[in-house]
Amino acid sequence: MKEIEQPTRNNLEGIGGWLNPSRYGWERISYWFQRLTGVFLLIYFIGHVYETSTIVNGQNAWESFLELTQTVWGHLFLIMVIGASTFHSANGIRLVFTHVGIGLGTPGRPDYPYSPASLNYRQKSGIWIALILSAVAMYYGFNVLFGV
Amino acid sequence: MESHTLLKESQIMKIHYITGIAAIFVVAVHILMRLVVPFELSLEYDYIIANYKNLVYVLILESILVLISVHGFNGVRIILLELRQSRAWENMVTVVTISAMIALIAYGTRTIILANGLG
Repeated sequence: MKEIEQPTRNNLEGIGGWLNPSRYGWERISYWFQRLTGVFLLIYFIGHVYETSTIVNGQNAWESFLELTQTVWGHLFLIMVIGASTFHSANGIRLVFTHVGIGLGTPGRPDYPYSPASLNYRQKSGIWIALILSAVAMYYGFNVLFGV
Repeated sequence: MESHTLLKESQIMKIHYITGIAAIFVVAVHILMRLVVPFELSLEYDYIIANYKNLVYVLILESILVLISVHGFNGVRIILLELRQSRAWENMVTVVTISAMIALIAYGTRTIILANGLG
């Protein structure tokens, strides 16, 4: 039997839609950060797997590669990784809870000004907690890496 | 529409959450291994090789590799499917992300095996 052609439903805004700051709210910042940190962490992870693979070429190869990464800029980059991974983890846990219905509250009648009942103080607190934990982790990482 | 997928999206999403939460725990152990000694010492060649000779730590490293590769490339797949939808695009994205995931796991496993001295 011939398959019925499905019309494409392309998201015409694409990445430009993500980057449009005119519609940023709490959920949107969280959505954007979760994806941005996720892609950033995957790129870091691929680089980290490659970096650690130099150890199989012996001590000289390992130490040569360390000279490239153990710099002020390398440490600042690692602090970004610490912040991104902490936010991604903490906000990810909030999203798992949300997906299973925890923290959403009860449905409410859509009255003006149409604030979504699901975006309650629990959700906002979760996003704030993720941001604060990231800042604390970055501060701790700064102290370890720069020996302050 | 006839489904050609091995797993439902809801099942894939569960895998995404489970791999993400499990990764938090094993990455925490990995970071702790860097912090139990001074940071500079934790990067020394002999210390790292000693880590790779520890079977429990090797299993943790392999699990980090698998969990983050599955979670990360599935995350990229989700982002790409949000941006555009069609049968051809979905198939292409799935094949590319699974191939990249397998390649990264294979490359990382090679490092673990060689550094452990098994290779």
